[in-house]
Amino acid sequence: MTRTPFRFRSLAMPAVAVVALLAAAGPPLRADSGRVFAIRGCRVLPVLGAPIEKGTLVLRGGLIEAVGPAEKIVVPPDAEIIEGAGLTAYPGFILAHSNIFIDLPRPEGEDRRFGGPPAAAPSAAGAAAAEDRFPPGPGLMAFDMLKPKKDTLELWQKAGVVAAVVAPARGYIQGQSVFLCLNGLDPAAMVIRNPAALHLNYVNDRGKYPESLMGTVALFRQDILDASWYGAAQAQYARTPLRMRRPAYAPALEALLPYARRDRPVVIQCNNFEDVKRALAFGAEMKLNVMITGANEAWRVADVLKAHPAPLLVSLDFRAPNSSFAAAQGEAARKKAEAEVYPANAAALAKAGVPFALTSLNVPDAPTFTKAIRAAIKAGLPKDKALEALTLQPARFLGVGDRMGALQPGRAADVVLSKGDIFDEGSTVLKVFADGILFEYEEKGR
Amino acid sequence: MSARPHASRASRPAALAAAALLLAAAAVPLFAEGGDLLVRNGTLLTVTKGTIPRGDILILGGVIKQVGGTIAPPAGVRVVDADGRYVLPGIIDSHTHIALFGTNEGSEPVTPEVDMAEVINADDTAILTALSGGVTMAHTMHGSANPIGGRNVTIKMKWGKPSEQLIVREATPTLKFALGENPKQSNRSIGFGSPAQYPATRMGVNAIIRRAFLQAKAYMADWDRYEALRKSKTPPPGLLPPRRDVRLEVLADTLRGKYVARCHSYVATETLEFLALAKELGFKVACFEHCWEGYKIADDLAAAGVGISVFADSWAYKMEAAEGIAYNAGRCAKRGVVVSINSDSGERIRRLFNEAAKTMKYGGLTEDEALRLVTINPAIQLGVDKIVGSLEVGKQGDIAVFSAHPMSAYARCDLTAIEGDVYFDRDQYLKEREAAAAKPAPAKKDGGVS
Repeated sequence: MTRTPFRFRSLAMPAVAVVALLAAAGPPLRADSGRVFAIRGCRVLPVLGAPIEKGTLVLRGGLIEAVGPAEKIVVPPDAEIIEGAGLTAYPGFILAHSNIFIDLPRPEGEDRRFGGPPAAAPSAAGAAAAEDRFPPGPGLMAFDMLKPKKDTLELWQKAGVVAAVVAPARGYIQGQSVFLCLNGLDPAAMVIRNPAALHLNYVNDRGKYPESLMGTVALFRQDILDASWYGAAQAQYARTPLRMRRPAYAPALEALLPYARRDRPVVIQCNNFEDVKRALAFGAEMKLNVMITGANEAWRVADVLKAHPAPLLVSLDFRAPNSSFAAAQGEAARKKAEAEVYPANAAALAKAGVPFALTSLNVPDAPTFTKAIRAAIKAGLPKDKALEALTLQPARFLGVGDRMGALQPGRAADVVLSKGDIFDEGSTVLKVFADGILFEYEEKGR
Repeated sequence: MSARPHASRASRPAALAAAALLLAAAAVPLFAEGGDLLVRNGTLLTVTKGTIPRGDILILGGVIKQVGGTIAPPAGVRVVDADGRYVLPGIIDSHTHIALFGTNEGSEPVTPEVDMAEVINADDTAILTALSGGVTMAHTMHGSANPIGGRNVTIKMKWGKPSEQLIVREATPTLKFALGENPKQSNRSIGFGSPAQYPATRMGVNAIIRRAFLQAKAYMADWDRYEALRKSKTPPPGLLPPRRDVRLEVLADTLRGKYVARCHSYVATETLEFLALAKELGFKVACFEHCWEGYKIADDLAAAGVGISVFADSWAYKMEAAEGIAYNAGRCAKRGVVVSINSDSGERIRRLFNEAAKTMKYGGLTEDEALRLVTINPAIQLGVDKIVGSLEVGKQGDIAVFSAHPMSAYARCDLTAIEGDVYFDRDQYLKEREAAAAKPAPAKKDGGVS
């Protein structure tokens, strides 16, 4: 690849020079996406529209140019031809909430604890430094923390993932996420939207406010009230700057303001089913654009979610929360529930008719994510629902349902070619197109 | 006193309204039957209208329709034969901390912005434990780490119902306060080098409460000034409302009488000091919690119309309770104080009737007087005596059936119903437990989530 490595944050040169470079370079080049591909004779699962047993896909300039039965699609003369016999084409999976490419220490057990102490003191000096550099808060941008690594990228692509919302992972007000296309390792070139959302989590601090769940709930409320008040003051000052004292600048409230105004979504991590109701009530009270994330007990409030729809990002983390009956009944009961009950969350939601996306939040790595999808399917989630929950549904929730998440002309060329059904044991992802950029992988065992 | 348009009503009602939107029932109580129940041939301990040696009680649609006499069973109504048994109003626990995700927001000394109603854990098995002791309602509270803690919530023991359906919205909103060693010591520096937090003394506790309310008064004045300007003929350009501060708003609402104080207090002196402080600042005290030395100031408490919620024993269990005595509850009750016996625990809650009975030996209360301590008196303290606390026509059908008089050491709760729905039936429960124990582990069904 001949991508221009363009990342001004890493350039140690005077600002003048940076400006000059910007002016000279123009927008970053999309060097690789100009290629034209025709994938011929593959099975196509377009998500929107019926499966095509023997289809052809044409990708041009980072977009899907044509999809259809092989006999109806004319392969353009300038296309590089990929023989698709024996392969299945899927839209690239979209993780609507992940922590990939962020390399921060996560204290042991932080996410399992409910209302318990997070953030044990980091032991390594490097970890401490990272905490200092990126303290959680509304102004923390995941984009600033990104360290895309080649092996991580490859593992997630091999799991079928082509796009991901990457969020900071610590604290109760965690920071703002970025929506990325997994099209390489250059953070700026990967951005689909930045910032994507504000991320809150129903956990508490230790030794300082908020030290309890009710404290966290109260703090969220007060912070949104403050941001709204700050916004009103700034707006008033903009209208009547004369005879009005300039309102004090508050960076944290400035960061919260677009979210208090409903301009962007607030993603609230729900660590048990009560959190889901809490988050919905909070969103209704403060008039926020709320998304529910985590929610591995969402089946217990499926009725509520049906009556009060909100984007629901269901994590494939099957660990039972400490507040659950299973956890209260001891290790054996917990393990049993984690093997049998929690993997069936998605299946129960699908059965209840609650729309959801599947995400990798708190799932440690890509191979575990793949296994977790298979476990959810084994527990009763229909494959077509699983596919939708990994493609079009997250795209819709993220406001890109018109340009991602399905194999249709005009949409982004985010395509995964798998040998075998991608949800089956033993299948292998062989080719991945992200923004039309081709990544190729070896078949297993070769 | 204030003309603020939204501040006094905004935070909690908005939250409750939002929560009320979410009333969809996700779970079904184990023994619920639709609010209709006829209990026959029992000895009815009405609490407020004497004892009916043998009679029936009918609950329809969750409400008591008839007490006493012989009632022909209406069609479709479950009938319980209480022959030889005792029927009493559901027991009410005026002070506990069950069914909550968390107890203290202990990081700061003044935290009225936190609301226990927002962190109810309906899965807490202490609810089932409480039902097994005839308890139908509990005031579940913020802890005593702070001079001014959080807002408490009154709930019914509707085991199996979603959390928002447990809340008793008729109850008077209460705010937790605490005096003495708990707020002193919980704010003490724990390790070398860690900062000690104000207050560290009893006078500090008193002072910090006054300071917080003075801040709340200034806050109210800010809003009043703003409203006056806003409504004036020539509002100044760029007029902005003051910042809304939920912490101060709750204190302002306490001054306005919306919330009443429930104050953890051990010794007599600071109890009287708190009464004086409440009078000075202008807020209402509903009840002192534990109030070990209540017997020393019973007349002051009675005159102020302030109740106490106490243990029956455990006196002198720590230095601060050294002058607590077994006769505290009985003596105060006889002097006209509204006394309740509380559990403060998810275990003692199942035997509050035993606790109340101790006041007969220590304090000389009659059976009827002792029973009041766990029924109508806590109902009065919680502002729900119009709807629960006694067996009266028109009240909610919260009842318990006991194998013997509840003040007997041999009494056992056999059945507990809330609004006519049976939530605990000892016979059925034991049968189910035996059946479950006898049954081999169920085979895993495909894809099912129980």
